[in-house]
Amino acid sequence: MGQNSSITNLFREIGNAVTNKRNTMQNPSTPHLDGDTKRIITINHGPQQTKYITNNISTSKYSFISFLPKFLFEQFRKYSNIFFLCIAVLQQIPGVSPTGRYTTAVPLSIILCCAAIKEIIEDVKRHIQDGAVNKRRVLIFREGSWRYTTWRQVKVGDIVKVLDNEFFPADLVLLSSGEPNSICYIQTSNLDGETNLKVRQGLPQTAHMISSIQLKELLGVIECELPNRHLYDFAGTLKLNNVAFPIPLGSDQILLRGSQLKNTAWIYGLVIYSGHDTKLMMNSSSVPFKRTNVEQVTNSQILFLLLILVILCLFSTIAGEIWNYQNKSAHWYLGLTRLTGDKTANSPVNHFGYTFLTFFILFNNLIPISLQITVDLVKFIQAYFINWDRDMYDPETDTPANARTSNLNEELGQVKYIFSDKTGTLTKNVMVFKQCSILGIMYGSGNVAEFNSYELLKNLEYHSTGSQIREFLTLLATCHTVVPENKLRTESLNDIVYQASSPDEYALVSALKEMGVIFFRRTPDSVVINFRGTEEKYEILNVLEFSSDRKRMSVIVRTPNNEIKLFCKGADSVIMERLAPDEPNVPLTMEHLESFAKDGLRTLCLGSRILTNEEYNEWLIQYREASTAINNRNELVAEVAERIEQNLVLLGATGIEDKLQDQVPESLSMLLKAGIKIWVLTGDKKETAINIGYSCKLLSDQLLNLTLDEETLDDTRRQLREHCQTFGDSLRKENLASLVIEGKTLKYALSPSCRQDFLDLAISCKTVICCRVSPKQKAEVVELVKRSTDDITLAIGDGANDVGMIQTAHVGVGIMGREGVQAACAADYTIGQFRFLTKLLFVHGVWSYRRLCKVLLYSFYKNICLYVMELWFAFHNGFSGQILFERWTIAIYNVLFTAAPPMALGLLDRCCSAETMMRFPAIYKMSQNRSDFNIKVFWTWCLNAVYHSIILYFMSYAMLRHDVAYSNGQVGDYLLLGNIIYTYVIFVVCLKAGLESDSWTFLTHIAIWGSIASWFVFFIIYSSIWPTIPLAPEMRGMAKYVFSSMYFWLGLLLIPITALLTDFIYNCLQRTLYKTLMQEVQEKEVANQDPYDLVMSRQTSTVSRVAERLALLKSVFVRTRTPKMSGIIPGPYHGFAFSQEEDGVVPQNQLIRNCDTNIQKPPGL
Amino acid sequence: MSNQPATEDNHDEQKSKKPADTAFKQQRLPAWQPIITADTALPVFLIIGLLFIPIGIVLVVTSERVLEYDLDYTDTNCISSTGGNVTCADVLRSNNFTGASCNCTKTITLEQSYTGEVYFYYGLINYYQNHRRYVKSRDDNQLLGKAPPVSADCQPFQTSANGTAYTPCGAIANSKFNDTLTLSFNGTSVPLTNIGIAWTTDKAVKFQNPANPTTYFTNASRPPNWQKTPWDLDTSNNNTNNGYQNEDFIVWMRTAAMPTFRKLYRKLNLTNAGTFQNGLPAGNYVLTVQYNYPVTSFSGRKQFIISTTSWMGGKNPFLGWAYIAVGIICMIAFVIFFALHKTWKIQNRPPT
Repeated sequence: MGQNSSITNLFREIGNAVTNKRNTMQNPSTPHLDGDTKRIITINHGPQQTKYITNNISTSKYSFISFLPKFLFEQFRKYSNIFFLCIAVLQQIPGVSPTGRYTTAVPLSIILCCAAIKEIIEDVKRHIQDGAVNKRRVLIFREGSWRYTTWRQVKVGDIVKVLDNEFFPADLVLLSSGEPNSICYIQTSNLDGETNLKVRQGLPQTAHMISSIQLKELLGVIECELPNRHLYDFAGTLKLNNVAFPIPLGSDQILLRGSQLKNTAWIYGLVIYSGHDTKLMMNSSSVPFKRTNVEQVTNSQILFLLLILVILCLFSTIAGEIWNYQNKSAHWYLGLTRLTGDKTANSPVNHFGYTFLTFFILFNNLIPISLQITVDLVKFIQAYFINWDRDMYDPETDTPANARTSNLNEELGQVKYIFSDKTGTLTKNVMVFKQCSILGIMYGSGNVAEFNSYELLKNLEYHSTGSQIREFLTLLATCHTVVPENKLRTESLNDIVYQASSPDEYALVSALKEMGVIFFRRTPDSVVINFRGTEEKYEILNVLEFSSDRKRMSVIVRTPNNEIKLFCKGADSVIMERLAPDEPNVPLTMEHLESFAKDGLRTLCLGSRILTNEEYNEWLIQYREASTAINNRNELVAEVAERIEQNLVLLGATGIEDKLQDQVPESLSMLLKAGIKIWVLTGDKKETAINIGYSCKLLSDQLLNLTLDEETLDDTRRQLREHCQTFGDSLRKENLASLVIEGKTLKYALSPSCRQDFLDLAISCKTVICCRVSPKQKAEVVELVKRSTDDITLAIGDGANDVGMIQTAHVGVGIMGREGVQAACAADYTIGQFRFLTKLLFVHGVWSYRRLCKVLLYSFYKNICLYVMELWFAFHNGFSGQILFERWTIAIYNVLFTAAPPMALGLLDRCCSAETMMRFPAIYKMSQNRSDFNIKVFWTWCLNAVYHSIILYFMSYAMLRHDVAYSNGQVGDYLLLGNIIYTYVIFVVCLKAGLESDSWTFLTHIAIWGSIASWFVFFIIYSSIWPTIPLAPEMRGMAKYVFSSMYFWLGLLLIPITALLTDFIYNCLQRTLYKTLMQEVQEKEVANQDPYDLVMSRQTSTVSRVAERLALLKSVFVRTRTPKMSGIIPGPYHGFAFSQEEDGVVPQNQLIRNCDTNIQKPPGL
Repeated sequence: MSNQPATEDNHDEQKSKKPADTAFKQQRLPAWQPIITADTALPVFLIIGLLFIPIGIVLVVTSERVLEYDLDYTDTNCISSTGGNVTCADVLRSNNFTGASCNCTKTITLEQSYTGEVYFYYGLINYYQNHRRYVKSRDDNQLLGKAPPVSADCQPFQTSANGTAYTPCGAIANSKFNDTLTLSFNGTSVPLTNIGIAWTTDKAVKFQNPANPTTYFTNASRPPNWQKTPWDLDTSNNNTNNGYQNEDFIVWMRTAAMPTFRKLYRKLNLTNAGTFQNGLPAGNYVLTVQYNYPVTSFSGRKQFIISTTSWMGGKNPFLGWAYIAVGIICMIAFVIFFALHKTWKIQNRPPT
C-alpha cells in the first residue's frame, strides 16, 4: 500500500509539472512586449492590449464536443473495459469464437451506454454549479459608468465595486474603500484558514477615489507578475499618468478571489487576475483520483483470476490438442481431417493459438463484464442516498449533505483516523462572553447560553466591590482595538455596530453594550463611552500592542477625573507575574480561571494600575526613545512596556466561549466509542487548541494528557524516545491518553529521525491535538499516518487551509457552511455540520461498505457459477470449446437476468436500522476491521460458486443421462440440457442474492423474482422467433420442450435447493455458534428487544482493561517524571485566548489612531 | 453562500434544498428480515426432509417400473449373415468404409412383456455429437428449404467437388445414422412407425422442404456419406416424411449433449390389432440389422434399446435417489440443529 501511494504521488507530481508547464506555456503566446515576464494592464483605456482568459470558471469534466472522445478514453483506461474490448475484437476472427461475433460487443456497448448516462448526469450537475458561481452579480465601472454584470463577464482591467460581506469576483488591487485611509477588512479563512480579519490598505495615491468622477480620471498602467500560486506574495507597480514615478504594489493591496469583504462598506478594486488565473484557482489542484481499499483488493484478485483464466485456457487448449491428436482421424464424422486438407497449414482449425483464443473467449466471462458498471451504479445511487438524507440536512444554511464523488462510499465504513480542522469545523468561530470573575466573585454560569448581567449590575450599584466592577467594565470598554460605527447615522446608541479584527474583543465590547456600558466613539486620541447613561471620555495616551510573545495588551488612559491609568489585559500567567505583591484575590480568581478552563472557555485576566504624572512622564521619555529607535525597535518597545506593566491590581478575569458547532462533543464521543482516533489539526495557538480540546471533551482529567513543546530537534527526539519508553508494552495500543503537540515541535517530529517515534507515540493516544500547523504540515501528518498504518484516514475541514489534508486523506470531508467553498470543492463529501459526520460514517459508511462488499462478491460469484460450467462441459465434448448454452442467452446473463439482484443487494440491504447503528457506535468496529471483504472471503465465495456449478451441472447431467426426457419417448439435445441448467443457474444465483440479503423490501422481491420471471419471459419469446427473425434457430421450440419435461420440474425443485442447502446450513451454523455483534443486535431488533444490555456487556471487558492500563501508565509517568520533563499537563490548562492579526499592514496602534467616528464616511458612488 | 448579492438568491431560498421525505430516499422501506437461526431453520429442514423423501420414493418406484432392454451390436453381437464368421464391423473395415453394407441377425429375449407404448432407440457411445466443429456444421436456412448458397459453417461439407452445395450440408447431416434395424417376433415383423419421433416444432417449423422437392433433391448433390438422396429416405411415407422433413433426419440433427447418447428410432405401432396390440409380449425376437454405420474406428459402440416410458420419460433412478438423499441430509441437519439449539440455549442463558 505504501508503494501504491508513493506511485500515486509520483503521478500527481508529474501531473502538477504538466499543469505548471501548461500555465507557463499560455503566456508566451501573448504578443505584448515583456509579455512573458510580466503582465501589463492599462487602466480606463478601453480593451486590454493582451487578451486574458475570462473570469468564467469551469470545473466540469466534459464539454458538448469533448464528451465522446474524452469519455471513451476514460472508459478504456479501465482494465476491465480494455479486456472486454479485446475479447470483442477477437470474436471477429472467423471460426475462432464459440459464441458468435457480437456477444461481447453488444453487452459491452450496453454497459458503456449506462456509464455514459451516469457521467452525463454527474457532469450536468457540475455545469450547473459552475453556472451559479459564474452568474453572481457584481457592480463594475466600465467605459465611464457603473453597471451590473455577472462574474463571468468581469475582465482584467475592470474596476469593480464590492460591498460589505460580498466575495471578491477576481484578484483585485485595492484602490480605495469606504473606510478612512482606504483601509478594508477581509476574511481569508477560505484561503488560509486564519480566523481573524485581515487589514488591507489601498495606496495613498488612489485613496481619494471615492466616486465615479474621480475614477474616470484614473489613468495609468499596472505592471505585475504573471499569475502564480503564491497566496502571500505579490509584486507589481502602478504607473499613474499624473504621478511622475511608479508606485510599488505589494500583497497589502491585493484582494484575492475567495476572500470576503468584512466590516467595510465598500471597496473599489481593479481586476488583475481573472478566472483560472486567480491565486485561488491556481491553488486548487484537481481532486486526486482516490482508489479505495476494496478496489485494490478487487483489482489484485481480478489479476489473479485472470491468471487462473489463462491457466484454464492453457489446460483446455492442451487437452483439446491432445484429444485432437488422438481422435482427429478416428472420429471421421467430425470431418476434421477434411478441414485440414482443405486449407493451408496455418488454417485456424489446427493452430494452437487459435484454439487458445477459442477457450479464452469461452471462459472470458469468469471475469464479470458488468462488475465495473454495477459497482459504479451502486455507488452512484448510494451517493444519492447520502444526498437525500434528511438527517444530514442543515436547515440553517439550507445545505443537504453532498457526495461529490461516489467512489469512496465504502471507505466511510472503515475509517480509523479522523483529522479535523478546528475553526469552522468544530467551532463556529463565534465568540460569546460567558462568565467573569471580579474580585473573587463569579458572575454568569457555564450552563446558560448567554451572560446574565442581573447579578453584576446589582452588585455594581449596591455591593462593596462596586467600584472595582466599574473599573473592570471600564477597562473592557477602553482597552481594545475595536472601531464603533453607526451605519444608520442616528443618535441612538443601540444602532452602534462594532468592527473588530479580533473576535474576542468583539464579544467583550458587545457584551458590555448589552450591559449599558456602550463604547460609541473613537477619535485618534480618545475613546468615548456611555457608562450606563453618563458619557465619559478617556484620552488614550499610549497603546502597548498585543503580541503573542507579550500575551497581553495595555492602554494608558487619562480618565475623566484626570487620573492616568494603565489598563492591561492578557493571559493569566503573564498578568499574575505582574501583580502587586500580596494581592488578596489571587487564589479565588485562580480557582475561577480553572473552572473556566475546564469548561473550555478562553480566559483573560485584567489588571490596572494608577500612574502618577511623574511616573508616567518619566516612562514616556523612555518609550518615545524606544519607539523611534532604528534597530530592534520592537524589542526595545516591548522592554519599555514591560517596565510600566508592573504592580498591577488584579481586577478579575473573563471567560469567553468559542462557540462549538452543534453537538460537537456528543459526536466526538460517539466517534471515539467507535474506535476512531481523533486528531485535531489547527492553525491556532496551543492555548486555544487546548481550550477547545476541553470544551469538546477530547481532553479531560480522565486521560493521560501529554504535551510536546520543544524548541530543538534533539530535545524533540529525546522527549519522544522517553515517552515511547514509558509507554512500554502499551505502545501502539489503545490507551486513554492524549497528546498535544506544538507546530514547531511537529516540524521536528516529522523529520526522518523522529518520525517513527512520533508515530508510535501518536497512535498510542486516543486523541492528538496539533497546534499552529501550516496547511502543508496538515497534509504531511495525514500522509504519515496514511502511509505507516494500514488504516483508513478521513480529513474534515472547511477552509482552504484544509485542502491539502482533505486531498491527502483516504476520504476528505468538507464542511459546507456559511463561508467558503474551497474545502468543499476539494472534498469528496460535503456536509453542513460536523455532527452529521456520525451518520455519514455509522450509517451510510457501514451500509455502503457492507453492501458494496456483497455486490462485489456476488458479481464474481454469479459469473463463476455460470461460466465455469463450460469447463465441466469441456470434459464431455473433447475440449472442443463447444458452449452448453445458447450464445445470446449467456451474453445477456449479466445485463438482464442477473443485473437486478446485485443492485438490490447494493442499494436496499440493511443489516440494522439506522437508529440502532447510531445508538451503538461499537457496531462500527466490525466494518472497520474489513471483516466483510478480504482475500479469504473472496476466495471462499469463488469456491462456493465452483461448488454450486458442480452441483448444478453434474446433477442435471445425471438427471438427463439417458436422454429420454418425455413420456412419448422423445429425446432431448445438448441445448435442452443447457437451457435446463441455465434455468437452475438463474434460480440459484437469484436466490443466493436473497440468502445474502439481510432485509427484503418489496424492491428486493421485485429484483429477485422479477429476474427469474424475466428469464422465463425471455426464454418463451426467444424460443419462438426463428425463422421470423433470423436468430437462434437452435432455440426454436426449446421453451415448449423444456416446460413439458417432468424432469425439468422435478429437478427445479431438487437441484437449486440442494445447491443452496450448504449455504443455508453454513449460515445457520454460523448464526448459532459464532454470532457477530451485528447479528445479535439484528436479532434483538427483529424481536423488538432493546440491544442495549448486549452491546454493553460486550464492551465492559475492554473498557475495564483499558482503564487498568491507564492507571498503570499514569503511575509510571508520575514516577519517572523529571524536572525537565514538562510533558504532562497536570490539570486543566489555564489557557488564554486572543486572536489578533500581528505584524499586519496597519499596526494596531495606528489602526486606533486613524479612526475617527466623527468623520462621515464616503458612500462610494 | 448566504452573502450573495442580487435578487435571484431570494428567489432560490424559497425553494428549500431539504431532501424529500420518502421511504425510499430515507432508506426506510419496510423490509422483511429473514434471520437464519436454529429457530427458523428447523422447520425448513423438517419440511424439506418430509417432502423430499416421499417424492424420492415415488420417483424411484416410477423409474423401476420402466422396462428397458439394450443390446450392444457393435461387433460380436452382429456377425455377418453372409457367412465367414466375421463381424459386420470387420466387413465394413475390410471394405475400407466405402459404402459396403452388411446384414446380420441377432436373437434377443424379452423376459417380461412390454405393455403400452414401446420405443426403440439406437444408442451411440463415445460419439462426440457435441463437438464444437460438429455442432456448428449445419445451415438452418437451407433446412428451411431456402435455395443455396449455403453457409460456410457447413465446412468441410459445404460444397461438393463440382461446386454445388451439399443438400443437406454440414458434418451433422453427412454423418446421419444409417443402420436399418428391424424386429420380428415368431416370424412376423413387429410393426414400427417412424412418425412422431421428432419434436413437433422441428417438423412443423424448422425443417421445410423446398418447392418441387423431387426435382430439387435429385439435382442437388447429396452428402458424400449418403447412399440415398434425401428424397428417398423413407419410401413408405413419400410426401410427409422425406427430404428435410424426414423424422429420422430431424432426430439426428438435434445433436446430443453427451458422448454417450441415444436417439429415438422407432415406435411400436399400436394401431394394428393382433399380437402387438398391447405392446411387446415376452419371448424371443429376432433383430435384423443392416449394418452401414462404422464406429469401430474411434472405439465407438452402437446399441439397440427397447424401452417403455413412465409419466416422466425413460428409466432413470437418479432423480429419485437424489431426492431421498437430500431429504435424509435435511433430516440429519434437523436432528443436529435441534440438539445444538437445546444445548446452546442452556449454555448461553444469562445468569440471573
